[in-house]
Amino acid sequence: MRLAIRIVAFFFLFLGLNWLYKRWELTQFLDEEASQVLQVRKIANCDVIYISESSNFSPDNSDDFDRRKLSQFIADFYPDLQFEAINLPASHAGIYRQLLHIFPENNDVKTLIVAVNLRSFNANWINSKLETPLNKSAVMYNNRPPLFNRFLISLNAYDDRSIEEREKIMLNHWEIDELPFAYPHDNVKNWTAEEKWGDWQHPKRQLADHFIKQYAYVIDEDNPRIKDLDEIVTIAKSKGWNLMFHILAEDIDRADELVGPQLPQIMRSNSDWITQRYLDQGITVVNNLELLPSLEFAEEDFPSEHYFEKGRKALALNVALELEKFYADQFKNAPWVHTQNHN
Amino acid sequence: MVFNSLPFLIFLPSIAILYYLLPARLRWILLLLASYFFYGYWKVEYLALIAISTMVDYVAASTIASSQHMLKRLAWLSASLATNLGLLFLFKYSSWFMNDVASPLRILNADMVGRFNEFWHYALPVGISFYTFQTMSYTVDVYFGRVQPERNPFKFALFVSFFPQLVAGPIERFSRLHHQLFEPKNLTYENLQHGGRLILYGLFIKMCVADNVAPLVDQIFGEYQSASSVQLLWGMVLFGIQIFSDFHGYSLIAIGSARLLGIALMDNFNSPYSSLSIREFWTRWHISLSTWFRDYVFIPLGGSRASIARWSLNILIVFLVSGLWHGANWTFLAWGAIHGLAYLIERVSNFNRMESLFMKPIRWLITSAVVFLAWVFFRSENIETATSYIYRMFSGVESTINMEWSPLLLSFVGLFLISDFVFKFGNIHDWLNSKRVHIRWGVYALLTYSIMAHSGTINHPFIYFQF
Repeated sequence: MRLAIRIVAFFFLFLGLNWLYKRWELTQFLDEEASQVLQVRKIANCDVIYISESSNFSPDNSDDFDRRKLSQFIADFYPDLQFEAINLPASHAGIYRQLLHIFPENNDVKTLIVAVNLRSFNANWINSKLETPLNKSAVMYNNRPPLFNRFLISLNAYDDRSIEEREKIMLNHWEIDELPFAYPHDNVKNWTAEEKWGDWQHPKRQLADHFIKQYAYVIDEDNPRIKDLDEIVTIAKSKGWNLMFHILAEDIDRADELVGPQLPQIMRSNSDWITQRYLDQGITVVNNLELLPSLEFAEEDFPSEHYFEKGRKALALNVALELEKFYADQFKNAPWVHTQNHN
Repeated sequence: MVFNSLPFLIFLPSIAILYYLLPARLRWILLLLASYFFYGYWKVEYLALIAISTMVDYVAASTIASSQHMLKRLAWLSASLATNLGLLFLFKYSSWFMNDVASPLRILNADMVGRFNEFWHYALPVGISFYTFQTMSYTVDVYFGRVQPERNPFKFALFVSFFPQLVAGPIERFSRLHHQLFEPKNLTYENLQHGGRLILYGLFIKMCVADNVAPLVDQIFGEYQSASSVQLLWGMVLFGIQIFSDFHGYSLIAIGSARLLGIALMDNFNSPYSSLSIREFWTRWHISLSTWFRDYVFIPLGGSRASIARWSLNILIVFLVSGLWHGANWTFLAWGAIHGLAYLIERVSNFNRMESLFMKPIRWLITSAVVFLAWVFFRSENIETATSYIYRMFSGVESTINMEWSPLLLSFVGLFLISDFVFKFGNIHDWLNSKRVHIRWGVYALLTYSIMAHSGTINHPFIYFQF
């Protein structure tokens, strides 16, 4: 009896402490460690949400005249709708799905657009060292008592594997994941661009090998990102949201130039697989994989999805056109469309 | 499984509940299974090592006890020591010995060292230094007839692997721990309260003090060449606080966890930074290890009943071995040597007899200076770094690095030190028992809130896990 009374007392003590934490300290902690939670709270009453990694932004090294985000360019086509974006650099569907859980029940969101980055399905990204901080922040992406969430962070109750462990898993995948080509292109470990560019000292050899490591994989249902996208479909359906997957553009011309036709072939095959899988489920998919020429990509020494202004606008136009499906009577040409066509 | 983790906070109450639900005669089996699960949670391969150590010592002790033949007894004792020390050498010291001792001193040629490095890639198994010492002391005690051997190998395995103290102590003696593991016990409110309080305070000093201090220490020691003398001084002091709160926190959680199961483990700390001499420091710091070295190294070497020269040599040997026990690096040897030399100087200078009111603060200051300076060697990667750190600390360097001090961190450190010095808060159970209910619950609330809301957010494993 004495023990039972104390257990109950501890429970009430916890409730009181949780209230104190929520009242006085939570916002500051979220601001420092998981600012996306605050972002979600702010935007829960908008019409359309665009959720992505850093591809939404104007690159630092650009001369863009209009440095606005890709999502803002989409919004230009729907001036009567309220658009908002959630951006978290280096994130992916696994993080997005956790963020979606914390949307308030009575939100006004009608449509969710999810940026799908083809590289986020590869072993390198899945086992990236950035996963640990992302997973740490994601502990706060749920509706448990915030004091308990904060405690879980202190207990490292998230996937906090070391960089070495993650690298080991990645290297193993590069060795055992088969590609649909003959040796030496049968897996990432064997496949290099040595034949074409010579040894590793050659800058093009380095870049070509980066491309191979980023895009040479075969997507299937067991890929963790596919499972994440499946869960996003379930969440969107349960919340009654329109859902659109936006497959981002990749520098497929450069992949062809640096590595040869097999790499673009596998990139197309993967993006087609994703497109078909979700079209079959009634999801709107915008496949922008091959939309942009190489000069719209900001990075010169690594494959990425950082686009210059013209590239962002081209992607935005395609997405906006597909959005007409949900907002047919609200589409208006963006003021910059005319200029864009003449550039 | 580490103490400050979610799996352990689920594991411990589950085991405690099952323990008291089971009939008393079966409880030790649960503890054995739980202990092996606890250890295997790190890496299943580790279980093979502890099993080898256990089997060898079980057979050795049984044979020693049943044999009257002097040589046979000695042979089995040697086999036990060789196995345990061999495992320890292989996993802990071999790499250091090959690369930092044998190669520079040309005991082995570079080719052999290279081949060894290609072959040997195994990391130090967690807790190996602790359980090998515990099990070795058992065989020695059986050899000298101090204890009777355990006949059941599985019961002996529980003594070696008892999970609360398996990976970082306290290093228990057979005569103290073994019988407790098998005695029938009733669930008592006193044990739950006592254990719960120790765990709560242990978590507080580990998670709020040690883990919040750790990033500052890492920064200062990492950038010591850019830090000012004052910052280096702070780095040294903060590391002393970090290692104390980290290890003391661990020990309290270990003692508290055992207490929940009705088992009393020995205290490992007793306000070490209040010591007025190095001799006193070693009666207050890592008590289970220092008494182990006293009983199994110092006394067999001749102890105090020897000439002053022999006694001095014995003291130096104990401190050097103790340093080496902490890790395979010259820095740990230097740390041990500093303590050993300071111990000898105290004896020669009659330092411990300076009892006047005026001398006590001076003795405290000198002792603390030695202890904290020695920590610089303990924390540094190599001797050059440590000496350079100390040189910069005393040379009045003014360049500075950006450090983020939070008032909360200072409050935690202050609270910890004051509580340790003034209230002997390590014994929080007795302290709380003497207080009224609203103060007790106020302390619970404060500690719980601090742990949940203000623990460090970066993963810092317990420092003593690496030993």
